[in-house]
Parts: sequence; C-alpha cells; structure tokens
Amino acid sequence: MTSEAPRRVDASEYLPPTTPILSPWDSGLLHETGNMEVSATLRAKLLDFNAWSEILTTYGRTMRVAVALTDSQGQVLGKCHNAQPVWRLVHDTARRWGSGCPFCITTHVPCTAVADALQTGGVAMVRDQAGLTHVAVPLLLGKLPFGAIIAGQVFDRYPEPLLLRRVAKEFGVSAQRLWELAREQRPISNAILQASGDLLCALGHAFLRQRYGAILEAKLAETNGRFRLLVEGVRDHALFTMDPTGRVTSWNGGAERLLGYLEAEIMGQNFSCIFTREDIQNRIPEKQLHKALETGRAEDEGWRVRGNRKQFWASVNITVFDTAGLARGFAIIVQDVTERRKIATVLEEARQERECLQEKLLSHVSHELRTPLTAIYLFTTNLLDGVLGDLTPEQHEHLTFALDNVKQLKSMVSDLLDITRVEAHKLTVEPQHLSLGKLIDDVFSTCRTNAAVKNISLRSNIAPGLPFTWADPARVRQILINLIDNGIKFAPASGTVTVEVRPSAESEGFLSLSVSDTGCGISPENREIVFDRLSQVRSTADASRSGLGLGLFISRELVSRHGGRIWVESELGHGSTFYFTLPVFSLAKLCAHVFSVPNLEAGCVTLIAVDVAAVEGAVQADIQLEIRRVLERCIRPGQDVLLPSMSDTEPVETFFMVASTDTKGFEIIASRIVRELQTFDSASKLMPVISATTMLVAPGRPGEEQRGEIAARLEQLVQAHLLGKERLK
Amino acid sequence: MTEKKILIVDDDQHLLLGLTARLKAKGYRVICAADAISAIALARKEVPDLVILDLGLPAGDGFRVLERMRALADLVATPVIVLSARDPADNKKRALDAGAVAFFQKPPDNHEFLRAIRHALGETIALSTFLKT
Repeated sequence: MTSEAPRRVDASEYLPPTTPILSPWDSGLLHETGNMEVSATLRAKLLDFNAWSEILTTYGRTMRVAVALTDSQGQVLGKCHNAQPVWRLVHDTARRWGSGCPFCITTHVPCTAVADALQTGGVAMVRDQAGLTHVAVPLLLGKLPFGAIIAGQVFDRYPEPLLLRRVAKEFGVSAQRLWELAREQRPISNAILQASGDLLCALGHAFLRQRYGAILEAKLAETNGRFRLLVEGVRDHALFTMDPTGRVTSWNGGAERLLGYLEAEIMGQNFSCIFTREDIQNRIPEKQLHKALETGRAEDEGWRVRGNRKQFWASVNITVFDTAGLARGFAIIVQDVTERRKIATVLEEARQERECLQEKLLSHVSHELRTPLTAIYLFTTNLLDGVLGDLTPEQHEHLTFALDNVKQLKSMVSDLLDITRVEAHKLTVEPQHLSLGKLIDDVFSTCRTNAAVKNISLRSNIAPGLPFTWADPARVRQILINLIDNGIKFAPASGTVTVEVRPSAESEGFLSLSVSDTGCGISPENREIVFDRLSQVRSTADASRSGLGLGLFISRELVSRHGGRIWVESELGHGSTFYFTLPVFSLAKLCAHVFSVPNLEAGCVTLIAVDVAAVEGAVQADIQLEIRRVLERCIRPGQDVLLPSMSDTEPVETFFMVASTDTKGFEIIASRIVRELQTFDSASKLMPVISATTMLVAPGRPGEEQRGEIAARLEQLVQAHLLGKERLK
Repeated sequence: MTEKKILIVDDDQHLLLGLTARLKAKGYRVICAADAISAIALARKEVPDLVILDLGLPAGDGFRVLERMRALADLVATPVIVLSARDPADNKKRALDAGAVAFFQKPPDNHEFLRAIRHALGETIALSTFLKT
C-alpha cells in the first residue's frame, strides 16, 4: 500500500480573514510598558490551559471538532474531543501526546500543520490520509509564535443545517455563507472547518488580547500600587510633581509632613510658596525651573519655608520628566538637612579649633624651648669667649661641641615655628637682589664644622657670569644649609657634597641650584615622599638620625614661595642630587609698574642716584641699612622703586631709585631725602649728594619691548655712575 | 668716659645672669629687673642709656613697659632693644612701631646683638671710634 503524503492546502485555497489578525502588540497595549521582554512567566501565563479550556471546549463542541493547544515547540499541552470535552494539562499526558498533530491518523509521515503554523506565523491547513482536515492557528506575541491552537475533524460528517445555524449564531458568521460553502464543497465539514478557521483565529487572538490585557493590567496595577505605597511611605522626603509652569500636580505624605501643606490646599498652587521672600524677589524659583529645563535637572541647597513660615535648610532635587504618554513636568524631591548642616558646621568648627590649637601648641612649644636655649647659648658663649677666664684646649673643644648642638637645636626650633607659619599661610619671603656666589661661600663656612667631622669635602661649581637672583638671602641660606646638612648626613665618610649653580635649562628666567652627595641614594618610592611633612627616609646604612624631618618640607614651601620648584634625582647606591630653582633678578620686572602707562603721564623716567658719605669718612655697613630704610620712606610706594644695591662686591654708599617724574618732581624728592637723612641722625653728619638722569619715554608703546629697553638703559646708567665714582676715588 | 648703663628686663634669672656677665665683660654697667613694674621703677631711678626688654613679663608685658617709658619725659628718648622668644612675624613690627629700635628673637646671635647695642648707644656713629679701630 502506497502511503499518500498529507496534502497541503494551497495558500489560495485558504481565504484569509477580511480583518487582519491582531496580536496584543498591535492593540497598543504594549506601548505603555515599552519593550517588555516576553518572559517565560508571561508565556506560561498566556498559555494557561485552564484559561483556554472554556473557549476551546465551546468551540470544539459547537464545531464538532477536536481542539488542542500546543506551545511554541509544538508540544501538546492539552486537547479535547467533541465527544469527551475534558481538558487536562498534565505533564504526563503532555509527554504521552508528544509533538505534532494530535489528531492525525497519518503515522509514518507526520502532519505538518502545527509546525507550519509555528514556522510561518500564519494559519496552516492540512488534509490527512483519511481526507480529514486540520487547521493550525499560531498564537503570536509580536511576530513570534508562542503557541498554536489546532482544530481537526475527528470523523467526516455532514453538518446538520441546525449545526450550521448554531455556528452562525455563536460566532456571528453569516449562515448564508456557511450554507453556500457547505453546498460547494465536499466533504462539507471541511468547508465549515475551513471557514471556522477564521473564526478560530479571531477567537484565539481576541482571547489572547483579553488575557494579555488582564495580565498587563494586573501587573500595572501592582506596580502602581507598589509605587504609590513607596511614594506615600516616604516620610523623610517631600516628593511632588509640577506642571511646566510650576503648579503642583501631586503631593505625597512626606511633602505634607515636611512642607506643612495638605495635598488639597497645595494642588494647583505655584511651588514658589516654599521659598523665602527674598528668594522669590530674586526670582530664584523661576531660575531653578529654567535651569532644570536646560540641563534636565537642578540641585540646590538652601533655606525653604514650611506652611507655618518656619524655615529649614533643604536639599532640593528637581528632575524634568518628558516621557511619552505623560505630560511634561517636574518631579521634586525635598529633604530637610538642617541637622546635617548643623553637624557639618560643628565639625568644621571643631576642625578649625583643632588646627588653631595645634598651631598654638607648636608656637608655644617653640617659644618655651627658646628661653632655656637662650640661657644655654649665653653661658656656653660666655665661657668660650673667655668672659670667665681662660679655658684649657680640651674645655674649649668640649664647649664648642656644646655650642654646635645648641645651634642645631635652635634651627630645629626655628623649623617648628616655620611649620606653624606654613599651616597658617604666614610663611613669607622678602626677596632682594642677591649674588649666589657670596652666599654659598658664607653657607660653606657654616657647614664646614659639620662636614669636617666626617671628613667630607664641600665643593662648589658656579657657572661664570651668572645674573643676580631675586630671593630672600636668609631663606636661600636656610634651604642650602638644610640640603647640604642632609648631604653630609647621608654621604659616607670622606665623601663629597657639591653645590652647583647654572641657568635653568627648563625654565627661562630662573637659576638652577643643585646639591649632590655621594651617599646611599634614595629609592624611587621614597623620592615621592621625601618632601612630605615629617618624612625621614630610613636607611639601614646610617642608623644615626637627627633633625625633625621637617627640613625638606619647609624647603619646598620656601622654594615655592619664591616661585621656583624643588625636586630630587637619585639612584640607589649612587648618591642623590636635589635641585631647586630661583628667579633671576630682572630690573625690567622690578620697575615694571614705573613704566606702566598710568604712571607715565610726565613721559619720563628718572634715575636718582643718592651718594651718602659721612663728613670724615666712609659710612658703616649697619648705618647703610638704616639709610636704605630712610630712602624707602622717601619714595612714593607703587610708583617709585628703590633699586637694590647693584654691585656684586661690598655694599656701596650709592643708592639708586627709579621714579616716574620730571625735573620738578625730582627736586621735591631730593629735598625730602636731604631732610629725612638729617633728621635721621644729625650726629653722623651724613652728606647726601643727589643726582638725576632723566630718560624720555615714548608714549603709546609701553609694551614689554620698551620696558626691556628702559631697563637696559637704566642698568647702563647705574654702571656708568658707579664707574665714574670709582675713578674719582 | 663714663660707663654706659644698660637695663635688662627679663623674668628669666639665667638669662639675666648670662647676659649681665657678657655685657659687663664688654665694659657696660648692667642693672636688672624681672617684671614690668620694677622695670619702670628702676628705669626712672637709674635712667639707663639702653633698655633690653623681654615681651613676656609678669605684671604687664613688654609693650606696657615701652608705652610707659615713652610717656615719661626722662625715658622718652632711651633706646629700647626688644629681646623676646615670640614670633617676630607677629611682634617685630608692633615693637618697632611702639618705639623699639630693634627686635631680636631669642637666642640672638651674639655679634649682631652686640652691634645693635653699640649702634643704639650711638657708639658706632661716633666716627672717631670708627676711625680708631
């Protein structure tokens, strides 16, 4: 016996329903939830057999067909025969039924109705070997079938006219149409079944839609309920929404409690009522909404007002919502952070107090240490200077050691004071015109005693023809002594500490100073921290340690106050080199404000040379300092400049000042200088000789270029003046 | 030439002892006071040529002493050198404004301190002295 393959019905044989099959997605239901992932739970809910059973049983009974429900894999979840309309959804039975058409008598060639429907997403119709028709209708979620309904003739039977009428009545299909179909087609039940395929399709999807809608609604209701509970449950935060004009559209319990308005009284009111009167006058509410609209959100902390006019410190967060389906507006969260603010203020106060206390303590310690230190210093020096009689060489040596230690202690106490100044931002430098060569010689003579103990040689390498630097001599001394002492400390016995000065390669207008030692070097990780406060790199090679570990920290502060920078280059076992930079002295920079336009109304810059001589001889160095102070009082601050002594050698008795003045102005300055010097000390019989050289400045081009020109000219004049004086001697 | 008289005002007995020994060795007459009140009394009685003044003193601080001295006719011109352990950043300007001629922080460098004393006593300005040395 040859087996006949199940005949597939051509697409043309099947009349598609006049109205397209609607999936729940087309109904617009899904738009509200966005692209909701079709989860396994949702599928299971949609394929819930008990929910399907009633409609499918009705259909099966009416149409006298067997109906089954399958999942997306074609697994039969349950079926019913017209004769035995009992629907079960049991795993056991499901397994027994397997996949494929449950009604086909075709055994060796499987019926493809379900598979076709699931694959194509359209209605499929198959006639089996017995000539019975099966219709499979896919159940669609979007475009993907998640299951199918299959209806099939159990045995070929002519429908009774009564049945036709019932079908027509139950499903609202034209009875005429069914009758026509019945007459045209044999077996007539096929035609009915085929026509009712449309019905099944529509029925299934109507049910699906309804069922899906119900699930969705339940879900939405659940979410909404949860959200409402959440919003209402928030008691510490005021949560409310507003329309774009700032009128309140919702108001939670937290808002009632925090802001003191009932929902009923505030709805529709403008939210500016929670602002202070001052803020409202300054249009802060509008500005905030404007900002939120521009950037999508706005955050603010400030005073807000409750319904009872009491103020509180609020943290406010405004978010713009602009979701499809919801009206554009604002969501506002307000939180009372008055307590938090109080705590922050208290903490800040405590911190400041602690800092103040620490500063006071350090300052006090430094002060208290100085008193006994002074006594030790006085007695030691008195003995050393022979105030109480001669000493034996051994006594002298021991006392010298004592004095060295006193000096070390003194510098540590100074470091302590410097630290408190750094903390209080009171560390100041008083820069002046400075020649580094002399200063380094001076520093070496101080450090030599220390170096001699370990037989370390101090070398200096100063590039020739270096410009002056603009720095505080006492501070540069302090930095150098600190670095050299460090070098001596870390260099092995008979090692070398070298100080080098050269123009900075990296930054123009700076001199680079370096102090290198032949010591143990610094490891890369320690190089990062050596400049930190209280850091003292431990080294196994040298167990003896002295100092507070503040030296490099203070040095770094001092260098940065000068506008320079400090760093270290080192390799373990090959010594280390500390570099720092100091600005080069620039006459143009110093006099810049004299050359600036508002000062140049007279159109001239005058170099005033004040030569001071005592009647019977030279003026002593310490009086020169006083004369300098007197002259400083004679200049107009901000307009005139008292130049630093422009000679590299000993302090000279000629002082120069640069003033933006004409002849008349010069006379006033000159007479003032004479008067002041006479009142300063008539006994010393100081004789000032004052001369002036005026340079005309071209108006209208007071740029850098001109400043440089005038500065160079000034320098020439100063040199000429000094040279002429030298010749006179 | 009579010995110049220096009044040292300090509450630290050891400092008084040490500084007195040093200044006496330099040929000065030294008198001492340990608090503000006796300092004024002693200054009025002895009329020193120079006062070396500490700032932290019992019975009124050094600034009070300076003020009182400036108010007394016979002490108004007496030079005062302040020698204090206090931070010069806070006190130097104040002391100089109040009429002190110099401010030294403890411990002072002996050479500079002596030079300031001689300067305050008008010794360095005497050119004859300078020319002799």
